[in-house]
Amino acid sequence: MLLSLERFARPMDGEKVAGQEKGSGANRIHVSARDVTVSFGPVMALDGFTADIPRGIVGLLGPNGAGKSTFIKASLGLLTLDKGSISVGGLDSQTQSLRIRDGIGYMPEHDCLIPSINAVELVSYMGKLSGMISLDAIQRSHEMLDFVGIGEERYRPIKSYSTGMKQKVKLAQAIAHDPKLLFLDEPTSGMDPQGREELLGLVKKMASSEKTIIVSSHILQDVERICDYALIVSNGKLVRSGQMKTLLAGEEGVRSLTVRGSAAALSGYVRALERICQIVDKRDEAGEQITFLIRGCEDGKKVFRLASENGVQVRSLHPESLDLEEVFLRAFRGGGRDGH
Amino acid sequence: MGINPIEYHPWKGNRTAQNLRLYVIARSVFRHKTRSIGVIILLILGFLFVHTLNLILIIIVPHEGLEGSDMSSYLGNGTFVVFAMLLAAVVTSDLISEDLANSSFVLYFSRALKIRDYLAGKAAGALLVMGIFCALPPVIVAFVSLLTQTGDDYWHSLGVLGETALVGGLVTLFFVPFGLMISSFTRRKSYAAVGTFMSFFVLFIVSNVFYEFDKGWRIISPIDSLSILFTWLFEGDVPTYINEGALLAIVASLIIVPAAVVYFRLTRQVVGK
Repeated sequence: MLLSLERFARPMDGEKVAGQEKGSGANRIHVSARDVTVSFGPVMALDGFTADIPRGIVGLLGPNGAGKSTFIKASLGLLTLDKGSISVGGLDSQTQSLRIRDGIGYMPEHDCLIPSINAVELVSYMGKLSGMISLDAIQRSHEMLDFVGIGEERYRPIKSYSTGMKQKVKLAQAIAHDPKLLFLDEPTSGMDPQGREELLGLVKKMASSEKTIIVSSHILQDVERICDYALIVSNGKLVRSGQMKTLLAGEEGVRSLTVRGSAAALSGYVRALERICQIVDKRDEAGEQITFLIRGCEDGKKVFRLASENGVQVRSLHPESLDLEEVFLRAFRGGGRDGH
Repeated sequence: MGINPIEYHPWKGNRTAQNLRLYVIARSVFRHKTRSIGVIILLILGFLFVHTLNLILIIIVPHEGLEGSDMSSYLGNGTFVVFAMLLAAVVTSDLISEDLANSSFVLYFSRALKIRDYLAGKAAGALLVMGIFCALPPVIVAFVSLLTQTGDDYWHSLGVLGETALVGGLVTLFFVPFGLMISSFTRRKSYAAVGTFMSFFVLFIVSNVFYEFDKGWRIISPIDSLSILFTWLFEGDVPTYINEGALLAIVASLIIVPAAVVYFRLTRQVVGK
């Protein structure tokens, strides 16, 4: 769908321009990045990245190589920043990284499990490395493996696990020490639909225990389903961010109209429609149907009357609503807050 | 999720201090290694060929006291060092290479763990295993000799016992950093094990080749340098063609340089780089 760029050049209600602090109270900023630059040789992984991440389930969206994983690793203090700063729960990622890492859980994107040991051993080992005493770590590892749905298989070596089971074990090790902030890097990567469903359900359950969960993903449906807030990243920069419902709401006063008829009738209808409202976008579907985005036509009766006069059939007329894919694509077409 | 879905429950326990986390790694390495078939076989063979015979001889042969020369010939005859070398190769081979192969560094360093602590934990676990063969049995043999001596100069015997403990500790420490360094160069533990053993073996061959021209070259062979060091510690003298300073420098560099290399290598290679 082609839209004029200026529609997305203004912030909508509940949206934020990159770098502007907003929330307060229940929506306090938990992770904050200021002008962060990270490069690997000539490759700029983060390029002046500025963002404020509130509490709740937050989606970090972007294509592969956008800088999502780099941002997570930089937040953990695993990478040295060329420029800028990242604050996690008020702690600086460069100077207080050990304190940050003590309070967070990280589920990495790639395979990282120790294949020769079983899930109980791995999760309890990671719990102990996070400072749990042996007894607590073993008990907690069983609880977390129950929670993620790893049954008796927990006693088998991890090398015999399916991708879905490995993802669950990765999640279990990330939450073993009950972190307040959780980074999930592509949590549903490589999983079948049922596995994805289960994992997203687990993430939602965890969020109810007052955790901030940052989900990095390029699977938009996943983010749309579970996240309260989203950040769209491209080429190491924040392109767009905001509450999910605001991002998906579309612009106020803009309606989606679909009409059907012969080519001549449709042509006449478009000319008539242009006289009573602004056509923001028009998508011709095989010459028999057109979908418009129209603005300034509060009275729907006029739309129906024109349709009747021109011999076209109105198939639908409703306020514009977007899915995350559209938001994502529009952001990449150049409608981002910082010029992307 | 069944009739009674399992919910997420917070954990209310207390954390241990961050600087104690390396012991978790050391304990894990020790437990893992002492259950490994390869390590168990090497330990049994080593005990049989190196320590048991000496222990039996000390018990059945009457002796006036514990002599440094006896311990020097027991520990410095090459078999002890070769077994220590083999054991170090097997014990250290997978300590870093497997983490490289599995990318499990990312799990370690998502915790409040420094590279220094990670390495110290891995090394401590390996040192504990090495100590089972290199430090504990010689001290036991020396102690049994002291208990069964016919003479009454126990102070001298205690001195030799102390020297034995020092030598055991040195051999325990000597091969581990080098093994860790080789383990950090590869993702395959078999390469690391063979690489560690062969590196020392190559030094041994080079030393023997150049020995023909200058006997001082003996010190670049780990087996010979340790043997000479044992003689020096137990009997107080070294062959005239050996420069003591060079000997100490070689032994120290074979410990310090690999430790530094593995540290900087991990610093460069770790998560995200």
